[in-house]
Amino acid sequence: MSAAPCDFSRIFSQAVKELAQFRRDPITVGLAFLLPLIALFLYGYATRLEVKGMTVAVINHDQGKLSRDYIDRLFSTNQMIPSEWTGSSPIEPLDRGLARATVIIPPEFSRNIKAGRLSTVQAMVDATDVNNARVIKNGIIGTTNFFIESEGLNKASKILEPHIRLWFNPGREESLYIVPGTVALVLWVFPSLLASLSLAREKEQGTILQLYASSMTAFELIAGKLLAYLTVALCEAVVVLLASFVFFGIRFVGSPVTFFVDLVLFAACAVNFGLLAGSVAANQNAAVQIVATVGFTTTLLLSGFIYPVRNITYPLSLISNVVPARYFIESCRDSFVRGPEPFSHWYIPVALIAGNIILLRLSSKKMSAMQLRG
Amino acid sequence: MTDSATIVYDSAAPSPDTVVRAKGLCKSYGAFEAVKAVDLEIRSGEIFGLIGPDGAGKTSIFHIMGGVMKWSGGDIEVLGTSPSQARPQIGYLTQQFSLYLDLSVEENIRYSASLRNVRREEYRERTDDLLRLMDLRRFKSRLAGNLSGGMKQKLALCCSLVARPKLLLLDEPTTGVDPVSRREFWDILATVAAEGVTIAVATPYLDEAERCNRIALIYEGRIKQTGTPDELKDSLHLERLEVRARRQAELAGILEKESRDLISDVQQFGDRLDILVADPASAQALVTGIGERLGIAIDVSRQRPTLENVFVHSLRKEGDEEQMPEFDFQRARRERNGETAIVARQMSRRFGDFWAVKGVSIDVGYGEIFGLLGANGAGKTTTIKMLCGLIGVTRGEMELCGQKGNLRSSSLRGRLGYMSQKFTLYDDLTVFENMEFYCGVYGISPDLRARRIAWALESCGLAGQESLITGKLPGGWKQRLAFGACVMHEPEVLFLDEPTSGVDPLARRQLWDLIRTFAQNGTAVLVTTHFLEEAEHCHRMAFMAGGEVVAQGSPGEIKAEQPGQLIELRAQPIQAAYLALKDSFESWRVSIFADRIHLVALAERDLDKASRIVTETGAKISSHRQIPFSLEDSFIGIVERAQMEVVR
Repeated sequence: MSAAPCDFSRIFSQAVKELAQFRRDPITVGLAFLLPLIALFLYGYATRLEVKGMTVAVINHDQGKLSRDYIDRLFSTNQMIPSEWTGSSPIEPLDRGLARATVIIPPEFSRNIKAGRLSTVQAMVDATDVNNARVIKNGIIGTTNFFIESEGLNKASKILEPHIRLWFNPGREESLYIVPGTVALVLWVFPSLLASLSLAREKEQGTILQLYASSMTAFELIAGKLLAYLTVALCEAVVVLLASFVFFGIRFVGSPVTFFVDLVLFAACAVNFGLLAGSVAANQNAAVQIVATVGFTTTLLLSGFIYPVRNITYPLSLISNVVPARYFIESCRDSFVRGPEPFSHWYIPVALIAGNIILLRLSSKKMSAMQLRG
Repeated sequence: MTDSATIVYDSAAPSPDTVVRAKGLCKSYGAFEAVKAVDLEIRSGEIFGLIGPDGAGKTSIFHIMGGVMKWSGGDIEVLGTSPSQARPQIGYLTQQFSLYLDLSVEENIRYSASLRNVRREEYRERTDDLLRLMDLRRFKSRLAGNLSGGMKQKLALCCSLVARPKLLLLDEPTTGVDPVSRREFWDILATVAAEGVTIAVATPYLDEAERCNRIALIYEGRIKQTGTPDELKDSLHLERLEVRARRQAELAGILEKESRDLISDVQQFGDRLDILVADPASAQALVTGIGERLGIAIDVSRQRPTLENVFVHSLRKEGDEEQMPEFDFQRARRERNGETAIVARQMSRRFGDFWAVKGVSIDVGYGEIFGLLGANGAGKTTTIKMLCGLIGVTRGEMELCGQKGNLRSSSLRGRLGYMSQKFTLYDDLTVFENMEFYCGVYGISPDLRARRIAWALESCGLAGQESLITGKLPGGWKQRLAFGACVMHEPEVLFLDEPTSGVDPLARRQLWDLIRTFAQNGTAVLVTTHFLEEAEHCHRMAFMAGGEVVAQGSPGEIKAEQPGQLIELRAQPIQAAYLALKDSFESWRVSIFADRIHLVALAERDLDKASRIVTETGAKISSHRQIPFSLEDSFIGIVERAQMEVVR
């Protein structure tokens, strides 16, 4: 980099120019504000990890009241619903896709229970979808245990009674899990995309030559663009957060100040990442590819957005440590779900600051020649 | 050095006011050498032209001078330091868009000023001056994307001048700009140069070289010649005779065969022959003698050689020109008997609310080369697309090969040939595969195929190299190959859309020889070009502006229709004289060409008036002479007079 001191007025006018260009292009403005909202609604409404309405077929060989009570209990939550199938083969409903599981109640069910003898219920679960199979299995076991308790059977073995309470998200409302993560995802993808395009476009159209031909330094160029797109990113954040408040009932439970600090740092990270992508890419197409594959995929899979960070296997788990969204998702969940003491997770801003410095260094270095390659 | 073509004038010790000095400058991209040991000297206050075709290495040299690219070998010094150190004092107008089309005129200038740390007060004052000079003040808040091509270039010039550079680099500033704006742009450059800014221009147009104080001809990365335009012309030691006669082709044939020792070059144009001779008197006698033998009247006039003559001459020294192979026409030769191949009557075309073409009427006969001229956006491409049936006509009627309806029928299309503006061969196929493909497309009988392909390859000097990948060929070869591909089926009507853009002068001449061969066998040729010099090759032409035909006729007719005379003045100091004249005459009548002024004198007393005005400013006219109108002069005159009519 040249020894010229950093010129703030030049950074500022670069930012002003970027914002003027941004405002003029309806497609870019749409990309910046409409797509994040669409993404928010898509993820907010469409992603459901909880399992509801799974069809279960029942073959009841017993005619007693207890077996009918048991069946009522099975379908008393909306987790399982009865299959319309009637017949006697336990495999057929699974084969034909009419039920995800078949529960078979043996002929002596009621009598055996009343007599205090051991009775068995057989369940056949379609395990094509491993996750759902596990959920159904647990559901059937849970229902059976609850049935046994509630009917006052098996009192003798009830030495220890576990009481489980769910913290933070007592209603187990899924949107509380998904929406804060989506906010982070959206604020990562779109600012980085816009920033990378703005730099790659200058290269593609040749306007960058004017910058090369002036004495502007790489840092001034990058900083100017950072300033402009950070402003855009924060506007996007306001829009996305308002939408989450209105449509998904999200509220601050933690410190808004902590959240705001993390937000600014994270948005800067996203823009810096985009600028690095733009400085590596030769044209807009390549820039989009980099942001989509490197930025989006890591954020979707390795940030704890859907799969918990601690479930990620080594050595991929190492990568997850350098995915900025991993920290911001934690900050979002702190602010909207958990609500710890302000700045108790001090490592979040520290990690984001470090990320910003590294990204800014890399992109300035990449552009430092301010010359055409070749 | 074996390169005997290099003529270095003023090779004395470089003067202290040298702005750019390059010694043995080289630039390679991988294995490809774009710039090969270039020596260059640009002096303070001059307009220096780097003239050459596409791919000659002009942009590479400009990138290096502008400090935006490293060079691979040799030395270069700009304003006494390295190019990169000199950047704050250089204004660089790049070939690609150097404007932000989504910013307004004012925002573009302000941004450029801030890049170069121009102080606020100075920026205001400077912007005001520049916008006035460029006549852009009314458009301050218009988006750059909504300006015309000429205005965009003026704005780009404003942006590069706002920081008061000492050196201004312009890389093909007038490509895609209409002739009127082009002339205005060059007049502005003269004013800028007069303020003490040194200007270096890269351009493929030889006529623009006349506007430069000194020029360098560059070809394939090497500088062929350097000097003032006059010096270069004198270096030929030849004179140019313009010969006008009927049976021109026959005459050209005789001259080429019989008098190799007296005549060094014969070139055919639409309605004249140019011959280059060392001894004009005996050559004139020879030509007249041949005319008497043939029983035709011949008109000969003596002129100076053109810069194109210079360029072609220096390229020819390189190697022997390929001999043009004969095309074995299968169809009987069709005489020019007044039968028309293309007829358009009041043809118009509308796109949405915009009339791209308004009431165009033309006739093109078999055996005729008809030129459609005009700037980008004048409606040429829309017209040619309607004429060959690619798009429909909104109003009016047209006829092709005697057919009025069903212009897309396959039997009719088989009789047409079309070479589009963009190169039409497949870059990733070999030369032979491309030719095979087009033979198949045009349904050429298998027994004829081998001969036709051999002809096409020979015509561009590629015989025996049919396995080359097409994409790797230089532009001029590709263009001739593409031409070969679209005429292999002997079309009766040939449409050529900008066939010679970006091609070097020698290749361009060869392409025109090919086109003429087909015309002589009776093919009707319709060719578009924005390059007015080239239109001299057409038998007849139509000038288009704003979707209308503003003039039609042979090159000679169009020039003869111009009212008044074109006077070339030499005066000292030239800039003062120019500004004074510009104020007193309509602006289109006065133009500055380096150290000369062109003035259109409409009446006898105009010359006296001019000399009085110049004397009043303290300048002095040293000489004046009448020169012939060029097609560009004619075009500008026609357009400007038409506009004045509208204003009235």
